[in-house]
Amino acid sequence: MQLNESTYETIFLLYIDKELSPKERLEVEAFIEDNPSYALEMEALQATVLSSDKIQYPFKENLKLQDWEEDLKATYATMLKADVEAIPGLSTSFKNSLKKETASEAIIVKSFGFNQQKFTYAAVAACLMVFFGYQQLTKSSVSDLAKSNSIATNLNKELAPNISPITTTKSTGSSETIVSNSNKQARVNSINPVTKTIQLAATNLQASNSTKTQRSNLLQQESIAMAETTPNNSVLDNQVVMKKIPRTYNNPITINATPLTVSTANIDAESTVDEKGLTTYEVIDTEDPNRTIYIANFEIDGNKFRGITRRVSAFLKRNKSDKEK
Amino acid sequence: MTDKAYNECVDNFADGVYRFIVKNIRHTEDAQDIVQSAFEKLWVNRAQVLPEKAKSYLFTVAYHQMIDHIRKSNKMPLSDEASIPHQPINQAQTELKELLMRAVNELNPTQKSLVLLKDYEGYSYQEIAEIMNLSDSQVKVYLHRARIILKNKLSAYAPTAS
Repeated sequence: MQLNESTYETIFLLYIDKELSPKERLEVEAFIEDNPSYALEMEALQATVLSSDKIQYPFKENLKLQDWEEDLKATYATMLKADVEAIPGLSTSFKNSLKKETASEAIIVKSFGFNQQKFTYAAVAACLMVFFGYQQLTKSSVSDLAKSNSIATNLNKELAPNISPITTTKSTGSSETIVSNSNKQARVNSINPVTKTIQLAATNLQASNSTKTQRSNLLQQESIAMAETTPNNSVLDNQVVMKKIPRTYNNPITINATPLTVSTANIDAESTVDEKGLTTYEVIDTEDPNRTIYIANFEIDGNKFRGITRRVSAFLKRNKSDKEK
Repeated sequence: MTDKAYNECVDNFADGVYRFIVKNIRHTEDAQDIVQSAFEKLWVNRAQVLPEKAKSYLFTVAYHQMIDHIRKSNKMPLSDEASIPHQPINQAQTELKELLMRAVNELNPTQKSLVLLKDYEGYSYQEIAEIMNLSDSQVKVYLHRARIILKNKLSAYAPTAS
């Protein structure tokens, strides 16, 4: 450190900032003693140093942690101990009650213990519940079908006065008989509403249920066929149409004239129920190989399901034969 | 840091932090808020702060909060210096002190903080550099400039005062 005219100010500033070592401080003090002209300069710089100013933070106690919680715990513990010790009987009973409480907790925990045997029972119970639940579900679906059939039958009965003459005429194949049974114009009027309803029902089915394409196609054909009849057509034309319809059915059960009336009535029932915004019902062709199988809300492709069952049965047979060998 | 150590920090450093802030911003309520925030932050981070570094941590936090406060409010010369309590020793010293404080208040915020931290808290250049996020040489240069300015201002005030 060399003190001279060019460096003294920096060194004096370091001196007043207490950034010099003790040895350096002594050197500065010696320099000032040797050069009194610099004493004023040092004094002026020292005047820029702020003296201690005692300002107190007024909310110091608020910043501190209050240990009242520990004090409170200690106080209550002392009080409780004193109370318990004051009554010897209470002290014993208190201890005993604590022991009993602990024992009862242990018993409760043990009673809810989970071992392998209980797990097996629970699994079997769950399987039984699923099985019976499924059975109940299938029963309810069958009953729904029965209900729909009964609705269809009732509606058929209602429509019978209008439609049965047509089936009769179909069996006889004579238009003259029809004319002789009732008025021609009246018959046309009685049939036309049915054809219109069938058209509506078929259209609704086609739009709403895409998975049942075959059935809807049949109904569409039926509706197209029925739509060919106009109010100006004669009963004879209607006869021809009604004869054509059974040919479109593959199911031998529904090939006769009566199922036609049932199906038409059923469609009519669907359409009327749809108009009311209620549940719709339909007849499922159980022998159709491509039909969709419904289990609860799940749709399963019939072919795939059959394939799976065949594979499973084949696998089981193979196992059985292996065991026998 | 234990609860006891935290309470000791409050006892030892709350006044210093408050003085540093209140001398800088000259607004008692805002200074109290800043001090409270600084101690709150110390309490939240007490697990990471060593007791020996607590003072530096408190001043650092308080300084940065003060800078934020100054930037947000931009209201440095708000209240009068008279709002800060003083303990005058005698008339001459009081006059000199007032003149010096007047000169200090005319410094820019960085220079003012440097002078306050150096003179009131006795921090070294290195410690001030850590608190104010400056280099050691910057602290030295800025502080020396501040001293020269103060000396010139005091010499300018002296004939007027006399």
